[in-house]
Amino acid sequence: MRKSQSASEIDDEATAWAVRAEAAEGDPAREAELAAWLAGDPRRQGALLRAQAALSFLDRGRALAGADGPRVAAAARRRVTRRAMLAGGGLAVAAGAAGVAILSPERRRYDTGLGEIRRVPLGDGSLVAINTRSALDVAMGQASRRVELRAGEAWFEVAKDPRRPFVVATGPVRVRAVGTAFSVRREGEDADVLVTEGVVETWVAGASGARTRVAAGSKIVVGPGRPAVSVEAPEAIERILSWRTGQIALDGESLADAAREFNRYNARQILIDDPGLAQARFVGLFRTNDPDSFASAVALTMGARVTREPGYIRLGRGA
Amino acid sequence: MSRREIVAWVGGQILPHEADVRSWLRRGGSSAEDVDDIVQEAYCRLAALGGVAHIANGRAYFFQTARNIMLERIRRSRVVRIDCVTEIDALNIVDSEPSPERIVASRRELARVQELIEGLPERCRDIFKLRRVHGMPQRDIARLLGVSENVVEMQTMRGLRLILRALTQAREDGRGDRVHEEEPVRKRDR
Repeated sequence: MRKSQSASEIDDEATAWAVRAEAAEGDPAREAELAAWLAGDPRRQGALLRAQAALSFLDRGRALAGADGPRVAAAARRRVTRRAMLAGGGLAVAAGAAGVAILSPERRRYDTGLGEIRRVPLGDGSLVAINTRSALDVAMGQASRRVELRAGEAWFEVAKDPRRPFVVATGPVRVRAVGTAFSVRREGEDADVLVTEGVVETWVAGASGARTRVAAGSKIVVGPGRPAVSVEAPEAIERILSWRTGQIALDGESLADAAREFNRYNARQILIDDPGLAQARFVGLFRTNDPDSFASAVALTMGARVTREPGYIRLGRGA
Repeated sequence: MSRREIVAWVGGQILPHEADVRSWLRRGGSSAEDVDDIVQEAYCRLAALGGVAHIANGRAYFFQTARNIMLERIRRSRVVRIDCVTEIDALNIVDSEPSPERIVASRRELARVQELIEGLPERCRDIFKLRRVHGMPQRDIARLLGVSENVVEMQTMRGLRLILRALTQAREDGRGDRVHEEEPVRKRDR
């Protein structure tokens, strides 16, 4: 019932009633009509208040007409300055230059620092996005394209080249693609592989057993001594890969997991003091480099208490 | 506190900031429809108040109310439209705007209202001016212009609707978008 009328339709009706009510003050028939209209939807009270406020505002306009120009201009200038400051504050980012080392003519090493996210074209038309605190070696050969993910996480958009297979190695895990896009995150000897386009093949070096094919929209955890099972999760994949644009998207993750995610990117670590709070689920979209906003949002929506210390942001139960 | 006083207070302390609240909600990623709903709900809560004497800063109160409503909606729907929450720090800056500037800013809005009245379609403008600026009763305007009282009423409603819409529309100055464009992560792309 609530959605039978849109907010703006109600606003339009309310302006009519505001004018009518004024003209018909003391007319019992019209007052009854107005009361009936108001009773029809609880939102109408607010809309009527707004429309009547506008009439009242316009009446004040008579007295205040012809505001002094110079002061208005000065205020406008101050506004612009504040706007610039506001934007600047939102942009404060630790943007340390990523290390690039040329190991040989075809071999390069890329490192990213804490909180750094970097996109690098690989020269063959492929693109790699490297997440926080990661390291990878790229070797572009005549017969193959090899990437070794030594630490961390990277997403690859691979240019098609059937003569030169594109293989990512991380620990004992191998992921092979022809023309596709996927990410690999190293977790010790295991790797999380997410496929955003095409198909990849995964296997564990030195282990027997078939290779597992993973299609777009699926993810898989590959590692020695664990069965490789791919899970379809197309909507989750885009969310998990939001780090590529410097964001963390949470959709019902526990606060403990969310804090771990922020702590991958920031020197200021989030600590959750209350075990119950750590298990609470949270939804939100944040910047990887802005754990403060996350803490504020948790404080607001969950009534948590935030304590800011040098190097730490502590979240606890509210008083 | 009488209803009339509350209406006057809302007209002076809340309504002039509606465009800013809408822009802020828009920047936070709320859809146009969500913004309409949130703003309307905020006025509903104001309408339910017995008085406004306890509200020191209408602008801050409006932002605060809109934010609470937004958060309640997020919690209810669990939709990932919580981008707004990340703007909380920005909101605090908005709130702490010095009051003299607020007064000047609202005067600027008033000057704009005059412009808006001047910008109404001719017949609508004449009637609206007689009614609102000169405070002439509807019946007298009808007699003066040789039209029915109903026409005067309709034109006044139309004028109010047009002005209210222009006054409170979210400013599409792309402020939020610009911030995103300048995001260093994206800047480094390619």
